[in-house]
Amino acid sequence: MDNNIAENPSPTRAKWRKVAYGGMQPGFDDNHIDDSFLEGMVMNANVVKRDMLKVMQDSVSISQYLCIVILVGLVWNYTLRSTLDETSLLYLDVSLLGSGFLVLLLTKEMLSVDLRLHYLLNVFFFTTGLYVLAPIYQTLTRSISSYSIWAVTVSLLILHLFLQDYSGSTVRAHGALKNPTLTSFISLNASVVASVFIASRLPSRLHVFAIMLFSLQVFLFAPLVTYCIKKYSFHLHLCFSFSLMAVTLAFVYTLHRLLFVLLLGFLVFVTVVCPYWLIRMQEYKFEINGPWDEAKLCFDITD
Amino acid sequence: MGDSKRHRILMVSDFFYPKFGGVENHIYLLSQCLLKLGHKVVVMTHAYGNRSGVRYMTGGLKVYYVPWKPFLMQNTLPTFYGTLPIIRTILIREQISLVHGHQAFSTLCHEALMHARTMGYKVVFTDHSLYGFADVGSIHMNKVLQFTLADVSQAICVSHTSKENTVLRSGLPPEKVYVIPNAVDTAMFKPAAERPSGDEIVIVVISRLVYRKGVDLLVEVIPEICHMYPNVRFIVGGDGPKRVRLEEMREKHSLQDRVEMLGAVPHARVRSVLISGHIFLNSSLTEAFCIAILEAASCGLLTVSTRVGGVPEVLPDDMIVLAEPDPTDMVQAIKKAISILPIIDPQEMHNRMKKLYDWHDVAKRTEIVYDRALKCSNQSLLERLSRYLACGAWAGKLFCLVMIIDFLLWRLLQLWKPADDIEVVPDIVLSHDEDRGISQDFQAFNKDHSLR
Repeated sequence: MDNNIAENPSPTRAKWRKVAYGGMQPGFDDNHIDDSFLEGMVMNANVVKRDMLKVMQDSVSISQYLCIVILVGLVWNYTLRSTLDETSLLYLDVSLLGSGFLVLLLTKEMLSVDLRLHYLLNVFFFTTGLYVLAPIYQTLTRSISSYSIWAVTVSLLILHLFLQDYSGSTVRAHGALKNPTLTSFISLNASVVASVFIASRLPSRLHVFAIMLFSLQVFLFAPLVTYCIKKYSFHLHLCFSFSLMAVTLAFVYTLHRLLFVLLLGFLVFVTVVCPYWLIRMQEYKFEINGPWDEAKLCFDITD
Repeated sequence: MGDSKRHRILMVSDFFYPKFGGVENHIYLLSQCLLKLGHKVVVMTHAYGNRSGVRYMTGGLKVYYVPWKPFLMQNTLPTFYGTLPIIRTILIREQISLVHGHQAFSTLCHEALMHARTMGYKVVFTDHSLYGFADVGSIHMNKVLQFTLADVSQAICVSHTSKENTVLRSGLPPEKVYVIPNAVDTAMFKPAAERPSGDEIVIVVISRLVYRKGVDLLVEVIPEICHMYPNVRFIVGGDGPKRVRLEEMREKHSLQDRVEMLGAVPHARVRSVLISGHIFLNSSLTEAFCIAILEAASCGLLTVSTRVGGVPEVLPDDMIVLAEPDPTDMVQAIKKAISILPIIDPQEMHNRMKKLYDWHDVAKRTEIVYDRALKCSNQSLLERLSRYLACGAWAGKLFCLVMIIDFLLWRLLQLWKPADDIEVVPDIVLSHDEDRGISQDFQAFNKDHSLR
């Protein structure tokens, strides 16, 4: 540094240095702004450039799950209006359970006999428990009006959809590394409570059992099944999602025209408008990094 | 010194004696040096335990311990207007001409600066810390800082990195921000008359044992160095939640005889710990300035530090070895430090430090900032409000509302308790013993204070 000063052509004006020692630098005030001011600042260093098509494909998961929830709602509606009787509901439960297992078996390479037995045993306990509890559920909300129950159920379902973890599944695939977050648990619980409320409006005990089994199967295991499909083949996932959407739209169309238009609009909004927005909003990203940031440790701390 | 040039300064911060740390130290020593320059300095802080009311410290430094209880991390509860009456009374009683606030975390400082601006006083603010931009906490903190600094006359930062950070956080024009570093009292941190002999090398670490001080890096680095050099010993001073991690590391690698843990070191004993070593190791993850490095260098220790924040500006390149905050790089840096250790002369290093840092120099530079602040033109409420309005779409309007209410309350207070009714305190003129250095005062200051 001293050499630099000696070589400087105009010795009266030494070069400013970005140092704190040595008192006030001769020829410069303490509020001097050098050309190097904010040289170390980096803007938007960690911003990920997103591709429109990729974001749209990822958003399909959301529309798919939305359709599943609406299908559940439709089944509830049909049951409450007694279009679906308890035997057909039970057939639906069994076929869903069977197809779910089939998908798991086909998409997972390694599923040992032990694990399969374990799963079956769990399902058995689960079903028995539900059957025993069915009479309690049936009389749970007898003193409350149906309108209130529908309102609470719809808001719980919206909460469920809002907090749902669309990238994975709350019921963990075997060997998954990431633990589910608090919000995904809240979401799952909201859906369970919603199913209990709906079940409590039904006339017979078997009805209650069948509808509870159906809703819990869907809310607990549908994310796991769709997650497995998505991991197995992305094309299959897309086909499955679009057929689900088509089926849902068809059923909603038979139910109510306005609801159909609303749902169609919402699906377009989720798969096209939202990704476009996300990409447009990247322009406003303003992230500042620099030498003042707290250093991050490059290893994991095991406390 | 002519009376016209004499400033009457009120230092405000939540952080002051009897707590101990960088900011407290700074305020105390700066006030002492300003008193020596002939200015009047009054400090205002909140009550600490039963230490409440008005106290006098060395050199006639008057301290108001406002009976306002701290609620979190030594901060007072933010009430916006609760402190207005007492601040107004102090400003009038002491005939203050300029208010100087310290530290962005201090709510008392923010409130005092706001009220002082409402009453038309010139204000100076010193920022002692660095803050990021990413997390929720810093976004809110930065907004508060923007509010306080929107109308500040001049601001001071402790390093150039800190200045860049403050300018970005607050949107203040950079020419209003001065860089005046901390200093070290070299008279108090003298090297040992004789360096510890033998071929043993002692590495000293003194810091609070918390995450931000990089204790996790130490846990990785210490065993490796001990493994490489059988003649190296560590002395770790300080206490904190991460102490357990260090003790675990010591057990795991059976280094009980080579890593000494001292626990909390009282500031008065820091020198005696420092002079028992050869190398000072600082592993902070963030640091605006780092006084500990100065103290170590003044004791003639070679410093090894992480290259974070303002640390690279603190010492000339031949007095410090810098490393990235990464265990392997730090081990390399310690290796380099051990290799250049024979050419380091502690006494020479101490003499250099004497020239590089001096609190009197800091006080003189601060005096210039005060002069410039007083030269700033007076502004009406409307002119000032427009500055607040520019702070943001929603925040700007909110800030304006806060300021207008403050103004109205001040006017109400003027009617209720006119300034003429407040008694003015006569200045105490102490017959200074001019030879007495600040070092002795300083020792008195930190007699019973420990570094946690």
